[in-house]
Amino acid sequence: MLLNINKNKEKNQKQAIYDTIILGGGPAGLTAGLYTSRARQSTLIIENMIPGGQAATTVMLENYPGFPDGIGGPQLGALMESQAMKYGTEVVYENIVDVNLDGDVKEITTDNNKYKARTIILATGAKPRKLNIPGAVKFDGKGISYCATCDGALFADKDVIIVGGGNSAVEEGIFLTRFVKSITFVQDLPQLTAEKILQERLFTHKNISVIYNNKLISVDGEDRISSLTVEKTDTKKTEIVPADGIFVYIGYIPNTEYLKGSIELNKMGYIKADKDLHTSISGVFAAGDIIEKTLRQVATAVGDGALAAFSAIKYLEK
Amino acid sequence: MPILSNEDRDYLKNEFKKMTHKVNIAFFSTEEEAMCEHCDNIRAIIDEIKELSNHLNFTEYNIEKNDELAKKYNVEMAPALVFTKHDNGNIKYYGVPSGYEFSSFIEDIMDLGTDNNELDEGIEEIIKKIDKAVNILVFVTPTCPYCPGAVRTAHKFAMLNDHINAAMVEAYEFSAMADKHGVQGVPRVVINEKISFEGSLPQSEFAEKIMLALED
Repeated sequence: MLLNINKNKEKNQKQAIYDTIILGGGPAGLTAGLYTSRARQSTLIIENMIPGGQAATTVMLENYPGFPDGIGGPQLGALMESQAMKYGTEVVYENIVDVNLDGDVKEITTDNNKYKARTIILATGAKPRKLNIPGAVKFDGKGISYCATCDGALFADKDVIIVGGGNSAVEEGIFLTRFVKSITFVQDLPQLTAEKILQERLFTHKNISVIYNNKLISVDGEDRISSLTVEKTDTKKTEIVPADGIFVYIGYIPNTEYLKGSIELNKMGYIKADKDLHTSISGVFAAGDIIEKTLRQVATAVGDGALAAFSAIKYLEK
Repeated sequence: MPILSNEDRDYLKNEFKKMTHKVNIAFFSTEEEAMCEHCDNIRAIIDEIKELSNHLNFTEYNIEKNDELAKKYNVEMAPALVFTKHDNGNIKYYGVPSGYEFSSFIEDIMDLGTDNNELDEGIEEIIKKIDKAVNILVFVTPTCPYCPGAVRTAHKFAMLNDHINAAMVEAYEFSAMADKHGVQGVPRVVINEKISFEGSLPQSEFAEKIMLALED
């Protein structure tokens, strides 16, 4: 039995102007905090939910080095947070409502407070991309889930569908085998794209099947989901697949709404940052899933966090 | 075997030192074996934390043998943990407050023990004015990081106004009830069996849903 404690942070005297404010308390933000506070910069992290960000919604991380037996996402988040706080990083749990990033002193407004800093590191990550097909809104939270860790137990002995075939889809599928009767993956490619070791482990379980080269085109049912319709990518032939629930892993969208166009983004909405993770605004850096990059993993996020912090430290020394 | 790490135990011990008020918690267990599969988990949690403060007071009751008391506290099923600050026991947990819900449980204890129940601006007046019965069920799973937000908001409202009865329901332990309420995603909040929503809403929107449920 796991007992999580959301530790109350002793409120330090709030700084009039912080050296660095980090938006987001996932692996990128917490690593950045570790580095800036060790450089003796006054550092504040603003997070809206729990330490660890998206990683905290993963039951077990097996590909983060240093933990040969794997480590739970929430545990890793809590460890990273206490490591950053050990060196003086402050953490508050508030929602960001507005930012003013221009000028030498930047201002961050949350639902409870206003904060100022000389440098900002944007590390608010990404969230699951939602389905955009008929039935998606009607059944959101009513059979369509974007969090297997949260909702898996509600589908005990049911037949579920997983949309997607990447690491998240397969990892969460392995988790769901604890509860569900069967899992059918719907994948729009001729193969799954998850790490091979995950695929091998997935197929050691019974009642797993994959519908390749098909995309989901609607979710159907009266009060509850009864089936979904898939379409073959080449022939456009449709097929109805019975299902009690659907777990969706079709990628992510960056959390950049609060920036309200103040920063240069790429056409997918990710922040453009240079090789030192400086953004289009002077004194504003970015790290983790929110930036334009090829691989979004905890291992790459912590690298970004360290680099963004290093760049912020250099910037302040100037 | 202890569940909490030494570090967590020290943290809680320190937190509990801030308590100025006694917090009384009634634990209702049941003779129904299938339902009480998790009672030992609750006993284990109680054993872990009761030693950490003399402001904490737990009493175990068997729901079958104490039906008068269960009625008084509006305990409809077991296992249940009931904060008995108000005579009607309107702040409850049905099922084990483990995983992320352990945080909710600790924060409830701290709110009640320090007599400090902070709400967002303007919400307190709205909630205090409610003079009709409001029954809130918050369905959760222990592995849902979004759920404590909904549980805490419901419990904070109940702390302010004893017309509001707010219970966390562990959806996996009480699966028949979750199924009856059509729970397919958590947190799912059901108000007076009339209004329901998914997700942790801000306090102001949660309060609006209560008002909506009270409309004729």
